[in-house]
Amino acid sequence: MSTLLEVSGVSVSFDGFKAINNLSFQIGKAELRAVIGPNGAGKTTFMDIITGKTKPDEGRVIWGDRSISLLGMSEAKIAQEGVCRKFQKPTVFEDQSVRDNLMMALKRGRSVWDVLKYRPGADNARLEQLADEIGLLSEFSRPSGELSHGQKQWLEIGMLLAQDPQLLLVDEPAAGMTPAEREHTTNLLVEAAKTRAVVVVEHDMEFIRRLNCKVTVLHEGSVLAEGSLDHVTSNQEVIDVYLGR
Amino acid sequence: MGKSFLKNHPTMLVFLALLALFTLAITVFSEAYGSGLVSTSFVKTLGKTLCLCLVAIAMDVIWGYAGILSLGHFAFFGLGGYMIGMWLMYERTKEVVLRSLENQTIPPTETEISDAIATQIFGVVGSSDFPLIWSFAHSLTLQLILVVAVPGILALIFGWLAFRSRVTGVYLSILTQAMTLALALYLFQNDSGLRGNNGLSGLQNLPHVTAPQSEISMWFLWASAAALGFGYVFFTMMLSGKFGMVVKGIRDNEQRVRFLGYEVEHYKLFLFTVTAIVAAVAGALYYPQAGIINPAEIMPIASIYLAVWVAIGGRGRLYGAVIGAAFVSLLSTWFTGGQAPDIPLGFYTISWVDWWQVLLGVSFVLVTLYAPKGIGGLFDLLKRKEVQK
Repeated sequence: MSTLLEVSGVSVSFDGFKAINNLSFQIGKAELRAVIGPNGAGKTTFMDIITGKTKPDEGRVIWGDRSISLLGMSEAKIAQEGVCRKFQKPTVFEDQSVRDNLMMALKRGRSVWDVLKYRPGADNARLEQLADEIGLLSEFSRPSGELSHGQKQWLEIGMLLAQDPQLLLVDEPAAGMTPAEREHTTNLLVEAAKTRAVVVVEHDMEFIRRLNCKVTVLHEGSVLAEGSLDHVTSNQEVIDVYLGR
Repeated sequence: MGKSFLKNHPTMLVFLALLALFTLAITVFSEAYGSGLVSTSFVKTLGKTLCLCLVAIAMDVIWGYAGILSLGHFAFFGLGGYMIGMWLMYERTKEVVLRSLENQTIPPTETEISDAIATQIFGVVGSSDFPLIWSFAHSLTLQLILVVAVPGILALIFGWLAFRSRVTGVYLSILTQAMTLALALYLFQNDSGLRGNNGLSGLQNLPHVTAPQSEISMWFLWASAAALGFGYVFFTMMLSGKFGMVVKGIRDNEQRVRFLGYEVEHYKLFLFTVTAIVAAVAGALYYPQAGIINPAEIMPIASIYLAVWVAIGGRGRLYGAVIGAAFVSLLSTWFTGGQAPDIPLGFYTISWVDWWQVLLGVSFVLVTLYAPKGIGGLFDLLKRKEVQK
């Protein structure tokens, strides 16, 4: 399996505090990966580095077939390369309808000029199909601010899918969801990982068990263990820092 | 512009119809072309108000839609006025100078004419030479290009520096305010080339035009109404599609838009520059009606008023900005013009010329606290009531 993203030897510190310490991480082109770790382990900073929000002090982030470096690229450029991110809190554009949210996310020209001359007609079918996939077709024209918490989460996942990314970074997708909603979310993520790489940051062990994938445990800014869920949960160090508490 | 576009924007149609009706009514009652019910000075006030409405919709686009509280857009308005004012003043002075030299037995040379014009214009600041920036003042075409180019390029450079460094929120507001203050202070200097605190005057006199002011004022009213109409349609079209969605997205969650792959800075810079140019066009129409422009016009307070109009009218809807600008500026004219009756309290007399500003300040605070949607919010209430019925 060829590597899609390779993070090697990355470190970053904020005011002397080492948030990420010599971290290395790899993911293949169609792979589902769960990242777990206690609070302050550096999970969010790790995502910030990949998406260009935070610049690391040292290390490399190499992307794709052409092996280009993501460091020094703007957030928007990285997103255009196919790295997409879902935040912990569902962040959709609440004033705007489900359709408009999906339309903004849909993979089309991103420059001012492209957007100014964009005519929505041709994409209507695709947008409805996306809304159907995430179970929001009946809410198509509703302002997304009126949706329930779970529906917003799905809309955001739908927006990620609309971007047709190669790498999906998903931060706590199951937070605050009902069991039924969780199951739906699991299916969406597993389905997505068939054709692209998906990294899920999650606290909920039960949710991770359902994902049934390789797990990376972060602790104090570096990788503590990696492997199947059973493998890492039987690791004594992991039990000490994370599970045992 | 397709049929569906018009159908999807009923407020634009209503606005254009009202604007046309208003213009027609003023024409019918004007001194120049109608019954004379509306005085020429009031025609000028209304024409100027239309220009203020135009700059207000530009302000609404940058603030209400994109969430960038620029407190410097009046600088662009003023620069537009200065650029057209330079040609008006040059050409008008040349006309006067030529007439006065007509009876000389020896025809004057080009240099003599040029010197005479320069002395006429710059004598007041103790100079008799044309500064470099007046190089194009002889040409209406070139100065009209400068009306757009000078504020446009200033906005582009300023915006590029500010947005590239990701200056946002209140810091950006302060920065824009510093820009307009610096520009005003620079122009106050006598050697700035634009006559210091005297500014440019006599702009109401169009060169080579013998028509009376009553007619000229009507021409400008028509031009201002047309510009406002065009500006309204232009911004409505621009913001109606996906571009408007992205812009509102930037207002509501800039970071999210960035992670969707949009270069937020490009969008901000584009809007900042376009709105600056529209503000400049509004200014170029305003100052020939006002007759005079000086640096005091672009002090930060003017840009703050602009924000107050938009807030009172209702942010994020173009007609709200128009209502706010028209309502507050006309009310301001009424109060400060001494027409409002003073209120004697016995121990103290409230004179509106002084107290109007206090009233305006208080209403701004009240609107911000209790009616964040401004006057435009009333339309939402009406609409909701209709739905309930």
